[in-house]
Amino acid sequence: MVLSIAHNVIVENDDAPLSYRRQPTRGEVISEICTQLDAFRSDDAQVIRGATVISKDLNIDSLAVMDMIMELEDRFDVSIPMNAVAEIHTVDELADTILKLTARR
Amino acid sequence: MSPLPSRNRQLALRRAGFRSVPEMLDYAARGETGVTFYSARGEALSDLPWKDVRERAHIVARKLIGAGFARGERLLITADTWPGFFDAFFGAQYAGLLPVPVSIPVGIGGKDAYLDQLRRQFAASGAVAAVGIDDLAGFLADAAAEFPAVRLHGGMDVLEALPEKPVELRPLQPDELCYIQFSSGSTRHPHGVQITQAALMANLAGMVGPAGLDIVQGDRAASWLPLYHDMGLIGFTLAPLSAQLSIDYLTPRDFARRPMQWLNIIARNKATVSYSPSFGYDLAVRRGAAQVPADLDLSCWRHAGIGGDMVRAGVLERFAETFEANGFDRSAFIPSYGMAEVCLAITFSKGGTGVRTDTVDRVVLSEAQRAQPAPDPDDPLHARRFVICGRVLPGHELEVRDDAGRLLSDRAVGRIFVKGPSVMPGYFGEPEASREVLSPDGWLDTGDLGYLLDGEIVVTGRAKDLIIVNGRNVWPQDIEWALEARRIVKSGDSAAFSVDTGEGERVVVAVLARVAGEEGRASLARDVAGAVREAVVVDCEVVLVPPTVGLPMTSSGKLSRSRTRANYLAGHYQPKPAAA
Repeated sequence: MVLSIAHNVIVENDDAPLSYRRQPTRGEVISEICTQLDAFRSDDAQVIRGATVISKDLNIDSLAVMDMIMELEDRFDVSIPMNAVAEIHTVDELADTILKLTARR
Repeated sequence: MSPLPSRNRQLALRRAGFRSVPEMLDYAARGETGVTFYSARGEALSDLPWKDVRERAHIVARKLIGAGFARGERLLITADTWPGFFDAFFGAQYAGLLPVPVSIPVGIGGKDAYLDQLRRQFAASGAVAAVGIDDLAGFLADAAAEFPAVRLHGGMDVLEALPEKPVELRPLQPDELCYIQFSSGSTRHPHGVQITQAALMANLAGMVGPAGLDIVQGDRAASWLPLYHDMGLIGFTLAPLSAQLSIDYLTPRDFARRPMQWLNIIARNKATVSYSPSFGYDLAVRRGAAQVPADLDLSCWRHAGIGGDMVRAGVLERFAETFEANGFDRSAFIPSYGMAEVCLAITFSKGGTGVRTDTVDRVVLSEAQRAQPAPDPDDPLHARRFVICGRVLPGHELEVRDDAGRLLSDRAVGRIFVKGPSVMPGYFGEPEASREVLSPDGWLDTGDLGYLLDGEIVVTGRAKDLIIVNGRNVWPQDIEWALEARRIVKSGDSAAFSVDTGEGERVVVAVLARVAGEEGRASLARDVAGAVREAVVVDCEVVLVPPTVGLPMTSSGKLSRSRTRANYLAGHYQPKPAAA
């Protein structure tokens, strides 16, 4: 009997736009992240950069962070494991994680 | 995949009255009911009839015994909601090992704080093995590296890889412990509550019996509550098991993302019993109300329990109004009160009566500690409404006492004490911390404040400074220490507390602003909010206090959170920074 039913990783791919069934470019991923984060800039003058620390530099609460991750997962047809989420601080790190996962598809 | 049945065809319903968890599972395994795991989309991912849970647990137990683990040793388990948790938890029960369920990381950037917490839990439990979902194997390895006693760690594959030897099972006995529940205490000094088989059996009997949920043939449980919390594990695994119910699970994070799935699963499978802290009902209204399926039918929901945080009448009323059209019956609400130190439950409001409240005069309450009925209950400035949480379970006693230990009469606010067969023997390996809350004659100091009303308890707050946000306990020390550890402020330069918004608690962190200029102040406020989010995963309001004003101290020179809070509420720390 196989003891581990590994269903902690749920791949939800029904909603992914067709364009991202191919490997997205880094620019596309960054641009999508920036779109998601736009509403959470701490002021209108703030520019979101690769080094922007998501939970610190932006006015985003924990539930909204989870929503954003879920949106990105749907958009790029990936599932970011919880250990990887726990290691992401910046926009760059989030983009790298998504790119690594899309490359593995 | 069709849902597992809500009734056993042959097996007679037995409501608790077992002597241990292995006995409970042995009995339930003779029927067809069991547990089903659902995805965020509401698809059944896998199901495990209790019969399979038992068979798989026996395999794990023989592997653990065969690997040389000794009776009474501790097995740490990252308690995600997945079949592996059942394998490890019940496997340990039949192997004579004590499970130690721990949380999983939440939010982004939380790795360091999570590893720190894991290490403290290893230290406090003296665990010799640790298993979890595969994704967390790396974190378990990192944390276990400092503990040479840990002989096995990793994903479920490490258990699977152990040879299954033809050894005798050695189930935990009725006079032994059942598991260790981390719950109270700060994350810095976690206290592991010793859940004994006997106390658990007593508490389960109360919960499923006539003074509690009064479980009947055909009842069915649904839950998104985390299994590392006593309300998730005891309330929604062990209690349904003690009455051979089927359970439908959604993970806590899928619930947070898609709260309507909770209600969908209840409606679709005709679940009759489901619980949540107030914030879960709030989330379902705020994030779910816009997408209620027209055919959602909640008329099956017999017991909508509330526990785990202060019960909020306003939130529950909005939930009832929102879902009334879907058949939700507000008399199904069961406010209840409890804590891990008594396994889970101490009081239940009487079934079928819904939420009953008592509205008292705010000023008399805060100044004279008396819950005097408010002259005008509709005046929110002078009236404060509390939910009546019911009577203590049969066989247990509950008292409200003043600071000198004298018994208080009805409507006098004091500390709540509890005694009876559900009360823990103490915290694991911590006689001193245990003595602080347990008297030699068996009374537990709950640390909560409240008053009695005709034999029913009304909880008004906490004696300690504990903050509860979205059902999670957050210790103000943990917030302050996080700021110090990140060198954002010096020791003693910050005070964390919560303010009651009437709907929940909002966390406020007051820090001494030893910086100049608007830019510096804004950046400090951002650093504080970011660090708090990273360390304890809560959002807070940051209040910058000029060093010339300072933070209030107690007479012994210790930071006074309650006075900081009072100053804040009195408006002494205005203006608030914009960027918090």
